[in-house]
Amino acid sequence: MADILGEIKKNLIAGRVDREDEGFDEDMVGQPGVTELVRQALEENIPPADILNEALTPGMEEVGVLFEEGEYMVPDMLASAECIAEATKILEPYFSGQEIQSRGKFVIATVEGDLHDVGKNIVSTILQASGFEVQDLGTCVKADDIVSIVKETKAGFLGLSALLTSTMTHMKETIDKLKEEGLRDQVVVCIGGAPVSEEFAQKIGADLYGEDAFDAINKLDKINAPGN
Amino acid sequence: MPRGLKIKKQSFLTEAECRIVHEGSCRLLEETGVELTNPKALNLFKEGGAIQKGNRIKMSRDMINRAVEKTAKNFIMKAKDPENELILDTKSPRVHFGTGGQALYVLRKENGMFKKKEAVTQDLVDILRICEKLDHVDFITRPVEPDVPDEEMDLEKTRLFLAHTTKHMNLANLIIEDCLPDIIEKVGDRSSISFISCVAVSPLNLVSPTVEKFIRIVSEDIPVAISSCPQAGLTAPLSEVGEIIQVNAEILSAVVLANLVRPGAKVLYRGIPITSNLHLDVSPRWCQPESIRRIALISDITYFYGIPCCGTAAVSDEKKPTSQALSEKVLGWIFEAASGAQFINSALGMLEQVMTVSPEQYIIDDMGISLVKKYLSMHPGADLKETGREVVFKALETFDVKTTREMEKEIANRIEFIYSPKEEYSPDYINNQVDHIVNAVSSAKSSSKFLKDSRKGLRKGWLYMGKRIEGAMNLKEVLKTKDGILGMRLRGT
Ligand code: B12
Repeated sequence: MADILGEIKKNLIAGRVDREDEGFDEDMVGQPGVTELVRQALEENIPPADILNEALTPGMEEVGVLFEEGEYMVPDMLASAECIAEATKILEPYFSGQEIQSRGKFVIATVEGDLHDVGKNIVSTILQASGFEVQDLGTCVKADDIVSIVKETKAGFLGLSALLTSTMTHMKETIDKLKEEGLRDQVVVCIGGAPVSEEFAQKIGADLYGEDAFDAINKLDKINAPGN
Repeated sequence: MPRGLKIKKQSFLTEAECRIVHEGSCRLLEETGVELTNPKALNLFKEGGAIQKGNRIKMSRDMINRAVEKTAKNFIMKAKDPENELILDTKSPRVHFGTGGQALYVLRKENGMFKKKEAVTQDLVDILRICEKLDHVDFITRPVEPDVPDEEMDLEKTRLFLAHTTKHMNLANLIIEDCLPDIIEKVGDRSSISFISCVAVSPLNLVSPTVEKFIRIVSEDIPVAISSCPQAGLTAPLSEVGEIIQVNAEILSAVVLANLVRPGAKVLYRGIPITSNLHLDVSPRWCQPESIRRIALISDITYFYGIPCCGTAAVSDEKKPTSQALSEKVLGWIFEAASGAQFINSALGMLEQVMTVSPEQYIIDDMGISLVKKYLSMHPGADLKETGREVVFKALETFDVKTTREMEKEIANRIEFIYSPKEEYSPDYINNQVDHIVNAVSSAKSSSKFLKDSRKGLRKGWLYMGKRIEGAMNLKEVLKTKDGILGMRLRGT
């Protein structure tokens, strides 16, 4: 039993979602990846909590350390984060809801008129890897649509991205609409993107500005989601 | 004497290699095509024989080849002062350097310190005035936008250009399509202006409303640079070969469209296959050795087609004018000029990955470009390994930077990296890369696919890792020149 948990952890660190995944090494193709191993573990009646606590969580912690030490790079983080996301999907039905600790629902979007999504995608991946349940609405999303999704999902966090000076104004529009809908107090609004600043965040009434995902997470750590 | 540096082009790719890149790009456009939802563009493509499948449009090799054949192979970009005309022609290439944008910030030296501020109209005026006086600025790409509402932007920009420059006016982006007739009326001769259209969003997507503005500009017979600027590992494969095939497919699709709008369209090929800092924050890497190499390779592709090349060089990743910035820039200019890009935009003033410009940097860059030109005209076709390093050193010494053996080694390493192919240009490898791109494009999140695929390349060292060039620069002369042009006036007064 310990063996398979070790294998899950190893493959998580290698960032191999499934059999087809190369890892950094083509030799790994064909060998079971995280999803196959998690299924196998469940079949072998290993408690889901053990899979989570003895394989997935310590694996991801190790990935974090490797990244901090410069051994791992962004794509490695992403690969492991994907493994976690897939494994969680498989494990979800086994938990009554509480046990997989989500840090809350996080809706994220690039605002209307703006097609830049590279930064937003990175941020959503890292948020996901650090325990948020992320719903990414894509690019060019209208304020109205963002607000209605926040309402529908009762998300505790909203991330807005804008890379153009001409689209930054839609961030304020979104915040104003949240107020109109009476939703402003239930969601932490977090903004980012090259032309955006701390000052701008204050000006438009956002809760925080994230220079990058890590900065945002640090700041989020200090705030408790009002909705959750 | 027309402007521009006559050069002896140096090639990195053979004609056979360019041909198989072309084959790869055609396969992409035939099999996967580009995403397109704009009705006007879709109609044009379909009338021209392309096939719509869902939200993608696919075009045949034949259609692509015909469009390339029709595209204008040479044209003149005029200017208010006839001495400032630019002749673009791959058969007898002349290299021209210009500014770039659109920067959000301006860095200014005030009381001995560099201060970063949001760019405003006065900055545009100052930069235009500085560049008017600098000999090696051949054309102006809009460096920063005036701070007026969007509705007024196009005409205000045109007015300021007309007032402060006699050089070719590359207005870069058109904010409101319907302003075009007024712009044309204002400038008089339409060949004195040009645009850049970021019509392709990687991977393989022609976006609205940009595509509609592009159609309008082409139909007015105004030269326009078709721009595609993926970041390897995020919006294209990390592989040099893969990224180049993809950029080429993206640009070819717009070349096809341009010729459907107006056969013989005057377009420039602006492919900027840069990389991104996958080690840390995924920010774009414009001026690192692997990007310098990729951008130079693109110039070879443009020669293969005979379409004028809008190059990019010297977008430093540095935030301030430093020795590191200067060394990055010199290598960028030298390789891009030697590869024969005729319209090198973003060559002056740019810092912090196109986010910032600095009046001082324009003057530093003008001096740097003068050295590069001097060297390239004295030693046409020379091996850049030896003398590339010489020019970097000369440039650093111009600003009293103390050069060391260590710096010498670092520059040699960068040049070596630029020269060395990391991958093969074989039909099999190209097909393999095409498969990777098709795979990523058809997955829900192409960026995570490209990111994941980049892990092996990263470990093979496809992103250059070197040391910074450190050393204080003496900017006394630069500041004197700036004050000479602008007067002692402080910003805003
Ligand atoms: C790549 C790029 C493009 C690509 C976008 C591809 C894509 N799929 O995203 C393409 C070529 C399509 C493009 C198009 C255009 N672009 Co562009 N683009 C860039 C460029 C070079 C890099 C952006 C990037 O990907 N950076 C890397 C990522 C990782 O960084 P990031 O986005 O800043 O994100 C980080 C942080 O900001 C933060 N963050 C971001 N979002 C969020 C959200 C939250 C919640 C949090 C916490 C944090 C956060 O965390 C991220 C990770 O560290 C920038 C210049 C630059 N250096 O930023 C110009 C830039 C943004 N573009 C610019 C322009 C002008 C355009 C065009 C208008 C060009 C044109 N003439 O048509 C079009 C606009 C299209 C549109 N409607 O949106 C200008 C904007 C200037 C301005 N005044 O607004 C810039 C600054 C370049 C320039 N100086 O000219 N562009």
